[in-house]
Order: sequence, then structure tokens, then C-alpha cells
Amino acid sequence: MLRKKRIIMAKMGLDSHDNGLRIVSKWLVDDGYEVIYAGVYNSAERILRMAIEENADALGLSFLGGEHLHYTEKLIGLLRENGLSNVKVLAGGIIPPEDVVTMKKIGVDAVFTPGTQRPEILGAIGKCMGKEKEPDEN
Amino acid sequence: MADSPKIEFDHTTGEKLPHFRSLSEIEYQRIYSREDWDKVLPDAGEYPFVRGIHKDMYRGRLWTRRQQSGFGSPEESNELLKFLLNVGQTGINIDSDIGTKLGLDPDYPLAQADVGLQGTSMCTYEDMVALFKDIPLDRISSTLIFPPPSSPVLMGQYLLMAKEQGIAWENLIGTIMNCSFTQLVGPTFQANTAFFPIDLALKIGLDLIEYLLPRVPKWNILNVNSRNIRESGVDAVQEAAFVLALGTDYVDRLCKRGVDIDRFARRIGFFSAVHLDLFEEVAKFRAMRRIWARTLKEQFGAKDEKSMWFRVAVQTSALTLTAQEPMNNIVRASIQTLAAILGGVQSVHTTSYDEAFCLPTEATQKLAIRTQQIIAYETGVTKSVDPLGGSYLVEKLTDEMEERIWELMKLIEKRGGFIECFKEGWVEQELNQARYKLARQIETSELPIVGMNLFRGGETAAEIDIFKQKPDMQAKRIGYAMKYKKNRNQEPVRRALKNLYDRVRKESDKDLIVPILESVEARATLQEICDTMREASDFTIPQ
Repeated sequence: MLRKKRIIMAKMGLDSHDNGLRIVSKWLVDDGYEVIYAGVYNSAERILRMAIEENADALGLSFLGGEHLHYTEKLIGLLRENGLSNVKVLAGGIIPPEDVVTMKKIGVDAVFTPGTQRPEILGAIGKCMGKEKEPDEN
Repeated sequence: MADSPKIEFDHTTGEKLPHFRSLSEIEYQRIYSREDWDKVLPDAGEYPFVRGIHKDMYRGRLWTRRQQSGFGSPEESNELLKFLLNVGQTGINIDSDIGTKLGLDPDYPLAQADVGLQGTSMCTYEDMVALFKDIPLDRISSTLIFPPPSSPVLMGQYLLMAKEQGIAWENLIGTIMNCSFTQLVGPTFQANTAFFPIDLALKIGLDLIEYLLPRVPKWNILNVNSRNIRESGVDAVQEAAFVLALGTDYVDRLCKRGVDIDRFARRIGFFSAVHLDLFEEVAKFRAMRRIWARTLKEQFGAKDEKSMWFRVAVQTSALTLTAQEPMNNIVRASIQTLAAILGGVQSVHTTSYDEAFCLPTEATQKLAIRTQQIIAYETGVTKSVDPLGGSYLVEKLTDEMEERIWELMKLIEKRGGFIECFKEGWVEQELNQARYKLARQIETSELPIVGMNLFRGGETAAEIDIFKQKPDMQAKRIGYAMKYKKNRNQEPVRRALKNLYDRVRKESDKDLIVPILESVEARATLQEICDTMREASDFTIPQ
């Protein structure tokens, strides 16, 4: 049995506008991913801990209020320090164009801004992580 | 993206709409006539106020232009407020950052990266003084967007500021939002319950109301926000039913505390969204006025007509705005502003077109104010009261909306009221269903959005100026909060917080406002006061 790819979906910091997070989470489930819904008010440390505990393949992060650079930078740093550079980082939300470029430089694998449609999001995520995965060793 | 339009055009037959349903799925008829509506309307200013709460409406006084604003430090926001007043804003609407709303100081680790982003960062009495520098508190009305647990603390700072400036509390004019359910998002459950016990939040909100009523008689004590409900994706019927049901819950709780209905009901206001379905939105506001008036009179026995007024401020929807071709948003916001005016609202925030990218810049905020001024002064729609009243379509739609809103309100009442529905997760479920539905409607173009799912043309980068915060703003605020707490006289703070702790711990049914105000006066910060109440309730918050 191949196990489904596992994605943790979260908002970080204090913004709790979660329309996008809810909707994309459902799209991912419908598309055959296993979604762990971490909800709102997450710190980078909490997401790191969850990524380790849940053996996640990817982290899906949603932003609105301008806290995107701070948190993606911090989280990607923590992933590297903990040997989890293989975990994909995906982001979406209200992110100004020049910050999209910066985030990709920092190491975010894909960034989706408002109005991006389902096929484009799922296509990009599928491509970035390959949908099915070898069975767990444990 | 070439493949997006789901509506196919055949230029030999012309363009057609995909359907004729309203956003709330009411089927628009081909034409409306006397057979659909044949009643007599009360005058404006007459119960149940379907045509407006005032006899003269905008002939007597234009609506208040009240753009929500606030960012960065209180000093920066003070500059912005003065800028807005200079270009013709007629009321202040100050928004705080999320940490402030949640009762967190800038130096709280999880709050640090959000400091000053979506509103101004506030935590000390001195912050409040800086925010209102040069602004006459007794001549300009201010809406303070603070929910519990921050509302009693920041209102306390505001009152202390008035006292120290020698302004009598009875001359203060403004509004404290003060709703524990609708000031963040949704109300989704986690967002509104993670940082403070929800029952205690509700209680201190009501305590604050009781404190303000006799002491600050012109102050509005509660504003229930359905805009945030609507922005989750629900339709106009749900928006109206949810907020009126919640408003009813508040009135009921205040009555049960023994406060006379005619003393407080007139001090409650609402804050709604305005969407693009113009006639439906007009019908919504007209129906909401009727329902609120009837509820107050028939269910709660209000005698004073002012108690029955559904007074509403609005902000045009940001959910309808697109990142694609952002200039189109100017058109959307203009039409929504017009809908609000045709609906007879009391104050308007026209959302800036750059909201799909960032906080509005000064230029886009000015444009938003200009939009309102053009509608007010150039279009003539303000010259007659309730100009759409008597339209077969609008009247029939008002009746239909009213019926559907009542029906949903009854369902909520049967389930124990809105607050109960929120606590047991029913509201959450409704919101999520609405979001999935909205996503599907956008995907299938059943909800056409020009430039996004219809006529989408080329993904050229939007050329707009992006609002930027000062790079050291957050670090400065964090440093300020830490230094402040270190350098003040600690003994009065310790004593005041101890009193508050004991009150919450041992006598939590008693008033909590006085010990909160004493803590404010002793110069305790926002989070110190909120943390004291959290600790006394054995409540822990996300790290």
C-alpha cells in the first residue's frame, strides 16, 4: 500500500482569516491528500513539532496580514536546523508580488495569491511533491 | 488563463447571464408589478422604519464617512487619523492590531510578528494618549474597534484620558464595538475562543455596558458586527439572521441583568457588509430595520422608538475584490457604496481597491472617501428619502428577505440562540459549508467575477503601490512595551492586579470593570490585565 501524502495546513501568528485555509484543505482532501488541519494561531515552533511528530511531507501555510516573510523565514530555518529540508513548504494568501519573489528565494516551494484556481493550485502542489509515496518504513 | 470562462458566448445571439438568482438564491422574476406588491408604506422615521430610521434621512444629515484605519504605532496612526479628517472623513474608526484585540502586549512571543500590521498597536495608557493627540474627544465621534477582553481595558484608558484632559464623560461621543463574537473572524470557534474564556469575555463586555450607561450617556455601548460574518462566505439572509439573533441574545442578557430596555437598546448599533447584488442589499437593510424594530417592540416591550432603531454602519465587501485587475475594485466598491446609501445606512467605509494586496495606502483611502463624496454631492441619490421605496421589485424582495431571515432566526432561537449555536459548533458548520459553496460557485462561474473567473485576460502583474510599514516598527513597539513594564512604579500595579485577580477568582459574578479601571490607572498594560483574568480562571493561551 502506498500511503497518501501528508500535508499540515496552518495559519501562523495571530491572523485568523481562514477562508482560504479551509477551502484549499478541502480541495486537497478531495484530491487524495491526507490533511492535518492545524488551524489558526500557530508558532513556527509548533509547526516544526507537528511536522516531526506527524512525519509530514508538506506544510501549507496561509497568510493575510503581512506576517508571511517573518514566519516562512523562521520556519524554513527551523526545518533546516532539524534536518527536515525535504519537507515542502507551500504558502498562499494576500502576499504582495515582490514578497512572492522573496519567499521563493527563502525556499518556499510554491506561493498562491488570491484568485488562483483549483487546477493551478493542485497541479503545482502535485508537481512539487509527487502525489503518492512509498510505504512508511515504520 | 485562456480556459476559465465557463459561460460560452455566441455573438449571434448575444451575451446571456448564467442564471437569474440573487446571491441569497432568491429567483428574480422577469418583471415585478402591482400583483407582487400592493401595500402602503409608513413614512420614513415611522415604525417599523422600513424606509429609514429618520424622517429626513440624508436630507437632514449625510451619513458619516468613517474609514476604518490604524496601523503601526499609535503615533503613526494619529498622523493617519489627522490626514483622513483633513480630506473629509467625518468620524474616526480606529482599528487595533490583532494582538491588541486578543489582549496581548507587543512583546508576547506569538504576537510579535503581527504587531501593528492590521491595525494600530496599543497596550499602555500612554499609547491611547498618543493615538488621540490633538483630536477633540467631545467634538469628533470615535468608533473604537475593541472587543472583550480588550474593550474594558482600552475603554478604561480612553475614559482616563478624557478625565485627565478635563473633558466630562457625559460629553464623549463614540462607540465601543465590545462584541466578543464578531470582531475577529467569522465567528469561527478557535479564532474567538483560544485567547480568552468566552463566557468571561461576554461577561466583562456586559459589565462594561452597565458601567458606561449611567456615566457616559452619549456613548454607544455595543456594536454587533455582521460584516465579519458575511466575509466568511455566508449569504445576505444568513448574515442578517445571524447578527440579529446575536443582537437579540445581547438584549436578552441585558434585560435579565435588570437593565431597562429603553435605557440601553438605543445605544446598540450594527456593522454590516455590503455586497454587489444591489437590490438584494437594499432589501436586506430595509428588512433588517423592520425585524429589529419588531423584535424590540414586540419581544422586549421597548416603548421608546429610538430603542427600535436598527442603526447600521457598513463596510463594502472585501471578499468581492480581486487581485486580478485591481482597478476593477474601484467600480465594485462604488456600486456597493451606492447600494448602502440606497439602503439608508448611517455610516460607510468604502473599502480600498488595494485590499487584495495590503493595507490601504493614503492615496487609496483618499479615493475611497472621494467615492463617497461623489455619491453624496454629485449623484443626487441623497436628495429624496428611500428613493427605491415603492418599487415593486424592492418591496417584494424586502418582504421575501424578511421572511427568510425570520425563518432562520427562529431556527437559531430553537437551538438556544446564537451564542449557544456558536458554542456547540453549529455556527462553525454553517460557515464552513458556506465557504465550500462559495468556492464551488466561483469555480463554476455560477458566481461570475469579472477579470477573475470571467473575461480573465493575461496575468500581467498589477501595477499598484504597496503599503509598507516602517522596517523597525515592530522592534520599536516590542522594545517599548518591555521597557515600560520595567521602568514604572511597580507597587500600585501589583496591588491593582491582585485585587482584580481576587475579584475574578472569588467573586466573579460581581462587576469587574472597577478593578480593571483601577489597574489601568495604576498603569498596568493591556496584557497584564488580561493575563490576570486568565490566570484567575486557570486559562492558558497559545504559545
